[in-house]
This record gives sequence, structure tokens and C-alpha cells, in this order.
Amino acid sequence: MRNVLKTAAGIALALAIGAPAMAQDTLTIGIMVPTTGSEATYGQDMANAVNLAIGEINAAGGVLGKQLTSTIGDDGCDAQLAVNAASKLAASNVVGVVGGYCSGATVPTLKIYGDAKIPLIIPAANSTKLIPENPGNAFMINSTGNDQVAKAIEYFTGKGIKSIAIVNQGDAYSQDLADLTKKNWEAAGNTVTSFETTNKGEQDYSAVVTNIIAGSPEAVFWTAYYADGGLLIRQLRERGYQGLIAVGDGSNSPELFKIAGPAAEGVIGFSNPTAEFLPDAKAFAEAYQAQFGAASGPYSTLSYDAMKLLAWAINTAGTTDSAKVIETLQGANFTDTISGPISFTPEKTLARSNFVVLEGKGGAWTLAQ
Amino acid sequence: MTVFDIFTNQLLNGIVLGSFYALVALGYTMVFGVVKLLNFAHGELYMVGGFAGFLVLSFLSPFIGAGWFGVAISMVLAMIAVGFLGVVIERVAYAPMLSAPRLSILITALAVSLVLQNGMLALTKGQYVPFGSALGFGGINLGKLFISYNQMILVGVAALLMLSLEMFVSRTQYGRAMRAVAVDKDMSRLMGINVNAIIAVTFFVGSALAAAAGTMAGAFYGSLWYFMGFLIGLKAFTAAVIGGIGSIPGAMLGGLILGLLESFATQLDLRGMGIPFKVGSEWKDVFSFSVLILILVLKPTGLLGKPEQERM
Amino acid sequence: MAQLPERPSSWGGLSAILDTRAKQATVICVLLLVMAVVPFVTNDYITVIVTHALLYVVLALGLNIVVGYAGLLDLGFAAFFAVGAYTVGITTQYFGLNFWLALPLAVFFASIAGVIIGTPTLRLRSDYLAIVTLGFGEIVRLTARNLRETGGASGIRGIESPWIFGYHVQSNIDFYFVFLILAIIGVIVSVRLANSRLGRAWLYVRHDEDAAEAMGIDRVKVKLAAYVVGAIYGAIGGAFFAANLGAISPESFSFRQSVEILMVVILGGIGKIPGVILGAFIVILTPELLREVGDLRYFIFAIGLLLIMLFRPSGIWPAARGKK
Repeated sequence: MRNVLKTAAGIALALAIGAPAMAQDTLTIGIMVPTTGSEATYGQDMANAVNLAIGEINAAGGVLGKQLTSTIGDDGCDAQLAVNAASKLAASNVVGVVGGYCSGATVPTLKIYGDAKIPLIIPAANSTKLIPENPGNAFMINSTGNDQVAKAIEYFTGKGIKSIAIVNQGDAYSQDLADLTKKNWEAAGNTVTSFETTNKGEQDYSAVVTNIIAGSPEAVFWTAYYADGGLLIRQLRERGYQGLIAVGDGSNSPELFKIAGPAAEGVIGFSNPTAEFLPDAKAFAEAYQAQFGAASGPYSTLSYDAMKLLAWAINTAGTTDSAKVIETLQGANFTDTISGPISFTPEKTLARSNFVVLEGKGGAWTLAQ
Repeated sequence: MTVFDIFTNQLLNGIVLGSFYALVALGYTMVFGVVKLLNFAHGELYMVGGFAGFLVLSFLSPFIGAGWFGVAISMVLAMIAVGFLGVVIERVAYAPMLSAPRLSILITALAVSLVLQNGMLALTKGQYVPFGSALGFGGINLGKLFISYNQMILVGVAALLMLSLEMFVSRTQYGRAMRAVAVDKDMSRLMGINVNAIIAVTFFVGSALAAAAGTMAGAFYGSLWYFMGFLIGLKAFTAAVIGGIGSIPGAMLGGLILGLLESFATQLDLRGMGIPFKVGSEWKDVFSFSVLILILVLKPTGLLGKPEQERM
Repeated sequence: MAQLPERPSSWGGLSAILDTRAKQATVICVLLLVMAVVPFVTNDYITVIVTHALLYVVLALGLNIVVGYAGLLDLGFAAFFAVGAYTVGITTQYFGLNFWLALPLAVFFASIAGVIIGTPTLRLRSDYLAIVTLGFGEIVRLTARNLRETGGASGIRGIESPWIFGYHVQSNIDFYFVFLILAIIGVIVSVRLANSRLGRAWLYVRHDEDAAEAMGIDRVKVKLAAYVVGAIYGAIGGAFFAANLGAISPESFSFRQSVEILMVVILGGIGKIPGVILGAFIVILTPELLREVGDLRYFIFAIGLLLIMLFRPSGIWPAARGKK
């Protein structure tokens, strides 16, 4: 039992020491993303982008005359770990939090940030389940699935496509998107030849590919992320699939082309405009590559914009007082972004979607229309 | 595609997938046979093997190219490197634990797997790494059945490796000693067999096979990921158990069965025949785990496993 | 089979120091007092992570009955946890049940799950048991993911937290005490079970199934009982987990959680209740304390785990000496 006491005392001590000291001349921003576990890839892409934005903000004089620092709360894409991370951030006197990648892990943290009165800007998680749980301090800057599905269906219809196969990866984001696409697509009188769910990290999609080809759809819509999407595209083309291949915004990364190779030529993507093809965002892409030695991920630009938005809101409010910052965010019409202007609905979701259609050409994304 | 075309295609898919599972399952089963350890870090050796192959290839490709030859050389070197890694892991983490309670060594294995996974996460900063092989597409069409060259080579290499393993175990002195140790460690020691050396050889061979599968996966599918060992580790474990853990032919059979189960389950939809039953990709793992449980209920030691005395 | 391990309720190696009931009672009182003041002298974060550790105490006590008492390896314990959480989630959300009505249902469904998992595994030896339980765990998780009735991959949200005698249990501190009380009840039940007829039957079955059967112990019933009791612990933990977080999704019930719960049981010392408690605090709190390290925190945690197992292969809690 002494061991237990010793351990308990040790833990208390370690926590007391480990708690970040409250420095007077800096403001701390919390970043809540998964940096360990199977989703760490996307979480680190997001954290990098936030830190890139912080660097630029600091170079331009900081916020309210103070420099920004960041602290990462790793949520591991797990609800309980996310609650721990959020509590830790809330206890670290952060002036605001940018984060939320996995919807399932983000939902239970909303109450914590709400109770602690911390403004939260969510760059990625976009499940509609977040909306009713929002105590009023959280702002979602990623469009919801509805906007994306509308864009996708508009595009398919415009191409005279009547039948599609939908493939998701069994996570909240891609499953929601796939379900919604299926519902709206069939409601419009079209056919879904097959509806597939793969597992993340499965490398061999040949059985799914055979199943898809057997239904001969005019298009295949992959609703999940680039890494597995790249493999699927490769295997579809290798098996001689000739139709259109489309991917959702989770696959919008230059990495898709490295993984899929020439098979990704002509792939269509629906996405918020992101850095590498927008002329005024070239600087972002280059700075990101230079600082982190890798291309940015699908949610990097939104995370970058989220940080810029938060800094703008605090500056505009003239205080870190959360009620004022939240009020400023609610009335925001923020245009200093690389992914399109941001303003919010009364539900605190993005007011105006700016989905664009991309096309893979010569190993990079280009604007298709 | 007719039903027959779909059938032959899925048969082929299942064989390819099954060859992968079998290669990784072999390492599981060999280690289990000799030291009675469920080596949960085995899937991670597959992952490390992929990265080792990638490293070798990126160093050597200026000289030997990134085609078949380059990949083959990388695979062999990765096998050797990861084989030694397996031996080191055994020496450092498992050997001191062999007399400890069985469950403790299970936790050690899980810890090793966490170390490898998170170590690679930190090294790669969580990024997916394109393998950089230049194997290209192409294949032959037999009617509606498409067989890619990649698939043929993959299955060929897997078969070759399994055949050599079988020869090694049944024909060589080491193989005989390995079988003896699997039956009775103490008696083998009395018979003059260097048990520790045999355990080391077992880990070397098992890890090398996982590395071969990892490099091939990287080369054929095109990318590597720090977490890629998790799922295949689980699948290989399942395959090894279906076949009867500890049995080498069992692992091959189990791998093949699991691969076939998964590819046919993806296709399985009886609703067209008036029967309201569909598996599909969404439920295929539920289906294969259910079959696994059914097999074990009917044959508690797996298909080719021998009944053995419990020693927990 | 070198030696009979000591009885699960034992103080293990500390029984030499804590040799009288008075001393034992003092230690327990001091510990309880410390636990009672923790949320008031620390901040919300520490309250939350200690609550997390207490949840794992409850879950691991349940698994300890399956693994430690009855000697059945279980790699899918998160399945029971999921059944409890999802029962509460579904019945309160879709059928408007009160939490306290949902709780017995959770226990009921978990018991059924325990029987379902237990029955086919009775003939299997441990390594096969491992994969079958793992398979069940995955089946439960995948089912929750695939069915739209369970909210699919994004799960169920808006789960009401319970009221007790007109008091709404909702703050972090409230739930801290809920889990503290659950853990205390869990310990008491575990201790009593160990000393009961059933507990002795588990001990016999674990050591020699055939001999136990020859002595008239119905090994099927006894093993099933272990699964069912373990499942009930898991379900109660899951039910309060769902109430605490207010939202559940399949990734909370994956292989990773099953492995963590197993680590807790083995790290502390299989079958030893103080070991389980210690194990839960180590497994949950260490990665939290290592947050500052960044993405290497689980790497360091795993190295620590390895070292602990190498130096104390039978778990941290000392074994009883001179007691065979």
C-alpha cells in the first residue's frame, strides 16, 4: 500500500510540476488532434498547420501584442482520451482551442470546453451530431456532408452518370458521407450498384474491386481518406476499370498521387479549395513543405485558417474574454483565408460552402471548373 | 461478368490475399510451436520489414533499379535485417520471460508491438511513405479472368518461400531440432540440442518471412504506414489458429482459407436468389470471425492442430 | 504448475507488514480519505484522469474474475463494456428509458453476452480462447459500426446522465465519486467472491480442471459464471461510462481497450486486487503524465511496461512469501 501512496504522491507532484507555468507575455492555444494511434497522420498534418499559422502570426507581432504558443492535446481519436485531453487543455489556461478531427471523439469534449468557456474552432470533424451538442462556444469551419454530397451529385448528373458505386472506410466521416450520397442519389432516381465498406489499413482491395466491376457502375465514389483511396484507385485501374473515379475531401492531398501513381490521372475530387492549386495559397504549401518536409494533408488548410480565424477574433474583440471572442466569431465575415471566406450560421456551422471540383492532372490537383 | 467470372476472379483474389496471410501466419505459428508464445509483435515485424525493404531500395535503386530485380534484392536484405531484429527482440524481451507466467509474456509481446509501432510513428512523423517501386501494371486475361503479373509473382514468391520453409523444417538438421524443441524443450536439451540457438533460428526465420511479406506488400500495393502491421497481425493470428496454431501446414491452409473466406464474403449476396442474406465488404470480418468460432467449436485445436496438454 | 498462487483476496507480500486487521483498516481508511479529497485539492484535469483510472479499476476487476480467478484468457473484454454502454445509449435515447431502468437491462444483456461468449469457448485451451474472445470483441465492435440503429460509426449522442434522489449527477466531481463508489463496491464484491464457494470452485478449476470435476464441481457452470460476473462488471462500467461522456462511438470499444484492460490485470499481478488497482492507475495515468513528451509518449510507456515485466514477471504487486 505504501507503494500506492508513493505513486499517488509522485503523480500529484509530477502534475504540479508538469502544469505549464502561466507566463504573462504569451497566450497559449490548445490543439486537440490525434497525434498517436492509427489517425495520427491526419492529426499531425493539422497540428503542423496550426503551428505554421502561429509562427506567421507571431512574426507579424502576435495577438494583442503578445506572442502565441501552442500545446497539443492528443485525443488518440478515442472519446475518453479526448475528454482527458480537453480537460488538460482547459486546465492549462488556453485562450482558445483549434481541433477536432474524429467526430466521435470530439462530441464528448464540447461540454468540457463549454463549461470552461473556451472558444473552440473545429477544422475537420463535421458530423451533424456535433450540432445539437454544441453549448455555443464551438464553431465548425468544415462544410457538412450535405454540401459535399450536393456538389458530387450535381457533378455526376452533369456528366450524364446514372449508376455509381460508393466505397467508405467505416469511420464516422466517410460512413456519413456514403450514407448521405446513397440516400440522395437514389432519391434522385439513380442507381447505386454497390455500397462497400473497407477497413482502414487493408491493403488488398481486390475482392471489393471485383465486386464493384461486376456491377459495372459509371462512376466509383470513394468517401474516405487519401492513403487507402490511393491504393483503391490503383487496384481499380489495374483491374481495367474504365469509368470515372471520384473522391471526397478527405482524399484531397498531393500524397494521393504519390501512392496511386499514374492511376490517379483524371480522378475527380470534391473539396474545399486547398493550398496547392490556389495561386494565393502557394506560399502556404511551400512554407509547409519547407518546415515539415512533407506535403500538407487534407485538413491542413482548414486548420491553418482556423488558427488565423481565432487570432483575428481575439484581436478584433480586443480581449481574450471568451464571451467577447465567441460573439466576434459568431458575427465573423473573415476573408483572410486560403480556403474561402468564413462566416457562420446561427448553428455555428459554416454559412456558405465553397466546394470546388478538382481533377488529377500530371500528378497534382487542378481546378476542374 | 457472369457468375462464373466473378467466382474465378474472387478465387484468385482469395488466393493472393491468402498467400499474404499465410506468410505472416507462418511466423506466428513457428514461434508458437517452439516457445509457446503468442507473439503479438509479429504484425509489427511485417511493418518494419516493409520499411526495411523501402530503405534498402531507396539506397540501391540508383544501381539496381526499382523493378523486379531491385525489389527482390531489397526483400532479401530486409528479410535478413528483420530476421536479426526478431532474434534481438527474443533475446531482450522474451528470453528472460520464458519461465514467467504465460500471460506476462503476452504483455511483453504487446509492449514490444507498441514500441515498434510508436517508434515508427515518430520516425515517419505519422506520414504514409510511398514505396517507390516501379513494377508497373499489366497482366494476362484468361477470358474474363484478369491475372496481373504482380499477383502471379506475389503468389509465386510466397509459394517458393513456403516450400523452402517446409524443406528446411523437414529435411535439415536445424529443422529436425526445431521440431524436437517444439515437442519437448527439456528432453531436447538432454539430447544435446542447443535449445537457445534453435529458438533464435525460429525467430529469425519467422521474422524474415514477415519481412518478406511486408516488402512485397509495400512494393505491390505502393505505400507503407506505421500502423500497417496491426490489421495483418490480427488476420495472420486468426489464420494460424484456423489451421491449428503450431502447425506449419496449418498456417498455410489457414491463411488460404481466411483469404478465400474474405474475398467470397465480400461477394456473398443471396438476395438475388430470394434468400435475405447478404455479407458484403461491410460484414465480411464479422462473417470470417464467425466461421473461425464455428471451426473451433467443431474442432477445438484448429484444422490441423494436435491436441496438446494445457500448461498455463 | 510450480506452486499454488495465493488466494486472490490476499494482501500478497505486504501481509507481513500489514499483519493485523487494525493495520489493514488504517491503510484502507487513509487511502479512502486521500481519494475522497483528491477532486477538491486538485484541478478538473486530475479529477477527470483519476475518474478514467477508476473506470479501469472497475473494468479490470471484472476481467480479473475471468482471467485471474477462473484462468480464462480474454482478449475481447471491451465487448462487455460495449454492451453496457450501448444498452444504456439505445434504451435511453430511442425508448426514453430512465438511466436506472436501463442499467439492469445493461446487466441483463451483458450476462447474455457472457453466456454467448462463454459457451463455445468451454472446450478451448487458452491460446484458442484468446482468438475466440478477440473475435467476439471485434464482432461486437463491427456490429455497432455497421448497424445504423446503433448510430453507425459516429455512434449515439445526447445520453442523459442519471439523477440520484433528485440530484443530477453531471459534473466531473459527481462522476468521480460515482466511479469511486463503483470501484469500492467492485473490490468488496471481488473479495467476497474469492472467498465464496464459487471463488474456491474457480481456484480448483483453474488449477486442475479434471480433478475439480472429479470432486463434483460443474466446470461448465463455474466457467460460465466467471464470464457472466466479468460481463456484469464490464456492463456496469460501460453504462456509467456512457452516462459520463454523454456520447459513445465504436472506437471506444476496440481491441486497443481490451488490451489495455488486460494489461491492467497482468501488470499489477494476476488475481491480486491491490495489484489490479495499482495496474489501472499505472496504465491510465502514465500516458497522461507523458503528454508533454508528444507523439513518443506511448513509445516510452511501452518501454516502461517492458522493463516492469522484465523485472517483475509476475506483476508489480509482491507475491506472498512462504505461502504455498
